[in-house]
Amino acid sequence: MRRLTVLAGLIAFGATAAYAAQNLAVIKERKDHYETMGKSVKAPNKAFKGEAPFDLKAVKAALKVIQEKTAVLPKLFPDDSKTGGDTEALPKIWENKADFEGRFKKLGDVAKAAETGITDEVTFKAQWKDLMGNCSGCHKEYRQEKK
Amino acid sequence: MTAWDLPTRLFHWSLVALVAAAWISYRYAEALGDVTLVWHRGIGLAILTLVVWRVLWGFAGSATSRFATFVRSPAAALAYARDLIAGKSRHFLGHNPLGAWMILALLCVLATDAGFGLFAVDDNDLTGGPLYRLVSEDANKFATHWHEEIFDAVLLPLIALHIAANVFYGRVKKEPLITAMVTGMKPAGAYEDAQCIGAAGRPMLRAALLLVLAAAIVLGAIFGLGGKF
Repeated sequence: MRRLTVLAGLIAFGATAAYAAQNLAVIKERKDHYETMGKSVKAPNKAFKGEAPFDLKAVKAALKVIQEKTAVLPKLFPDDSKTGGDTEALPKIWENKADFEGRFKKLGDVAKAAETGITDEVTFKAQWKDLMGNCSGCHKEYRQEKK
Repeated sequence: MTAWDLPTRLFHWSLVALVAAAWISYRYAEALGDVTLVWHRGIGLAILTLVVWRVLWGFAGSATSRFATFVRSPAAALAYARDLIAGKSRHFLGHNPLGAWMILALLCVLATDAGFGLFAVDDNDLTGGPLYRLVSEDANKFATHWHEEIFDAVLLPLIALHIAANVFYGRVKKEPLITAMVTGMKPAGAYEDAQCIGAAGRPMLRAALLLVLAAAIVLGAIFGLGGKF
């Protein structure tokens, strides 16, 4: 009987530990994707603000990166990655999973449309901000920036 | 009897509307189609201008609005607070000694928060306050963080306390302070700050000129520092 209690205790302990263990690898993986995406839009953002000359190539490259990343990112928020590591993800993500994932699809779609839509500086200035608005729109809902 | 002149009341309720609008224009920027925060930035400048105006009005407005008549020492504010807790009612036509410090705190916090906004950048890196180019990216992040933090952790609690205090006076002390900020009138009676009776001459003209001056100070400072809109 005593053995059984110990065994049950061990199983309970193990289950708790497994439950508490957060998937740190996936947290790092998604953060790397975000970082790559962030870097890719840096030059176009500078051009948008008039701090650097317009470069269509950099814009197209960024649009490609955005489409790639928005395709993989939705899968990188499993239930065991709510906390831990450097994650800035808010619990709301897992409460509104459909909306959260829909935002990636929308951003990917806008990026795809922009590939043909942005042809010069004028179309860039008009379309870039609406594309980037998807970033801040999602961050406000689902990210708590760490200091 | 008259407690608040029309410019002071217009200032107060404009500020209420602008602070609410500042929050909405940021929180729902994407839904409103204003990704580059054109409205939010404009509203911020308007708030800064109004705060500067209120400081000027504190020297050139009607008696109840002047710092010289309503700002009292912290000791006087504490004494007033003790009387309040003891249930001893003291009446003021303008701000009471405790309320005076709330006014100063609100003005300081608003100025600080709007000031940080001048150096802040948005999440999507497409836009920033008019002075964001003058400082490093780290400083932009610092300013952005505090721009949000001060609003959430300092300004909102202060506003909540300000509203709660005014509701308390209306409900418990039966002093209709909120009504007074709308109509400008307080019930006739004996007020401790009786020297506050008396309005500035031609208040609206005076206020309008000071508003132009306040806007010139804000825009002049931003342009003078090399800011860009």
